[in-house]
Amino acid sequence: MYYPYFIAYITIGLTISLVVFYWAFKTGQFTDQQRARFLPLRDDADHPPVKATRFNRIEIYGLFFLAAAGLGATAAVLTFALYFSK
Amino acid sequence: MAAETQTLESPNTTAKGFALTSAFWMMIATFFGLLGATELVAPDLTENIGGIVFGRVRPTHVNLVLFGFVTPGLLSAAFYFIPRLLRTRLFSERLGVFTVVVWNIALVGAVATLAAGFTQGREYAELIWPIDIMVVAAFSLVFYNFIMTVKNRQEPILYVSVWYVLAGTILTACTFALGNVIWKPDSGALVGIHDAILLWFYGHNVFGLLLTPLSAAVAYYVIPRACRAPLYSHTLSLLGFWALIVVYTHIGTHHLLQVPVPTWLKVVAIVDSVAMVIPVMAFLINIWYTAKGRLGEIHADIGAKFVFTGTIMYFFVSIQGSLMALPDVQRVTHFNNWVVAHAHIGVLGFAGMIALGGLYYTIPKLSGKPLYSRFLADFQYWMVLIGMVGFTVVLTIAGLIQGNAWLNGETVYRVLPEIHVYYVVRAGLGLMIFSSAVLGFYNIVRSLFGKTGASS
Ligand code: HEM
Repeated sequence: MYYPYFIAYITIGLTISLVVFYWAFKTGQFTDQQRARFLPLRDDADHPPVKATRFNRIEIYGLFFLAAAGLGATAAVLTFALYFSK
Repeated sequence: MAAETQTLESPNTTAKGFALTSAFWMMIATFFGLLGATELVAPDLTENIGGIVFGRVRPTHVNLVLFGFVTPGLLSAAFYFIPRLLRTRLFSERLGVFTVVVWNIALVGAVATLAAGFTQGREYAELIWPIDIMVVAAFSLVFYNFIMTVKNRQEPILYVSVWYVLAGTILTACTFALGNVIWKPDSGALVGIHDAILLWFYGHNVFGLLLTPLSAAVAYYVIPRACRAPLYSHTLSLLGFWALIVVYTHIGTHHLLQVPVPTWLKVVAIVDSVAMVIPVMAFLINIWYTAKGRLGEIHADIGAKFVFTGTIMYFFVSIQGSLMALPDVQRVTHFNNWVVAHAHIGVLGFAGMIALGGLYYTIPKLSGKPLYSRFLADFQYWMVLIGMVGFTVVLTIAGLIQGNAWLNGETVYRVLPEIHVYYVVRAGLGLMIFSSAVLGFYNIVRSLFGKTGASS
């Protein structure tokens, strides 16, 4: 019997959605839409960039090794797949 | 003004916790994906190793991607921007940190139980009852924290991102409980076809009512900020939001078109799958018009670059999805790798890209210093992009071969050698994505905790 679950879900879902929609309407969520467009921009106090310091050599070699190993393995697999497997 | 200072002074511990959660579990999740892909190429490789047979690896991969990598990444950004959009502080950082802990315990539990063979055997709902309860509790806690923040807000208008995050978290708490049949702890299932219907109602909602709204929320915040331009239209964004709520909630049956479920349910699912064009285009038009003429700014910010790419993938996956819901198309594309390609454009290309973008956009703000290495983040961007597009190409080709063979009545064992090469390429690309996750984890940890930045 899936009907009772579905009917219960649809009824509950619809009721909650309508209540929330009504709340939004009543509290003016659909007014002042011009100002709403600017909401993400208001808080512009991003921290000033900190100057990057000298790069640790071992680290950069390690990371390059890792990245190269990943790419190299991928290339090897592709080459094997395309040219050497039957 | 006082509230503004307060918001900026917030420790953002919860956002940092979710950022680390996402970066860490992305590594584990993609590793399991790679393992699964390797097993498809060489099934004998892991023979007799019970914990990592394909049947256990696949659900581990899928659950970790959904709840370990993508959702926490998106939530991390949300925990950063929700208080800012509402001009107040997060209701409780302590509750947030507690949620992060519960979340991670659930993930560890998921890996351990799936590896040990404890599963409820339903796709996307494999986790056993105690973990189901933890997941529902975690989503409820996140929702509670957000709704209380809304209650304490100084800004009367809820920006569209707030709507999306609230809806995504509460709807997931409800549909997860319903879809996992948590009132039946033993089986976590109904019986027969009703179970399939309920399962796919939930299964689809994981993408439609969790990943999609959270990703849309992040995009609606990051893109205007990165472009330093107001949103093209807030009214249109709300229209898209309500359309998504109306349409997306009940199209799960498009996963069951070739199954004896009632026809009316299929018709509803198909019609509304096509109607999805409305919320999708409302979102995309809004984002793309906001960014119009400002692609330079987007390119300059690595977070925004990830997010914007995610929106392009959203276009592809949604148009493809609407077509895949048509029965004639699905006769070819169902039951094969075509769907796996679609899943990867959606979850990795759209939601995963936006999750990474949200992380890279907010982490410098959380830590108060620039990213440890913009170069590494860019490198990761290209690796994920190339890997994901590569997946799509090879899996789509493999899917078409399988679909045609299926229609022509060919037996499976004759088809497997034909798609073998595509499986190998897919495993290679998986390796690339796994490597990128390791780089990303390193970059994010260093950005959050390191004292110095890397030179570019
Ligand atoms: C308009 C939007 C979309 C529509 C109409 C749609 C439609 C579909 C359909 C019909 C299927 C079933 C294919 C089959 O089994 O033959 C499917 C599968 C899937 N979709 Fe979408 N899709 C949409 C967007 C998305 C998005 C945005 C995501 C990810 C965030 C996504 C993730 C998936 C996944 C993971 C599956 C595979 C499910 C499985 O394991 O069988 N889809 N989609």
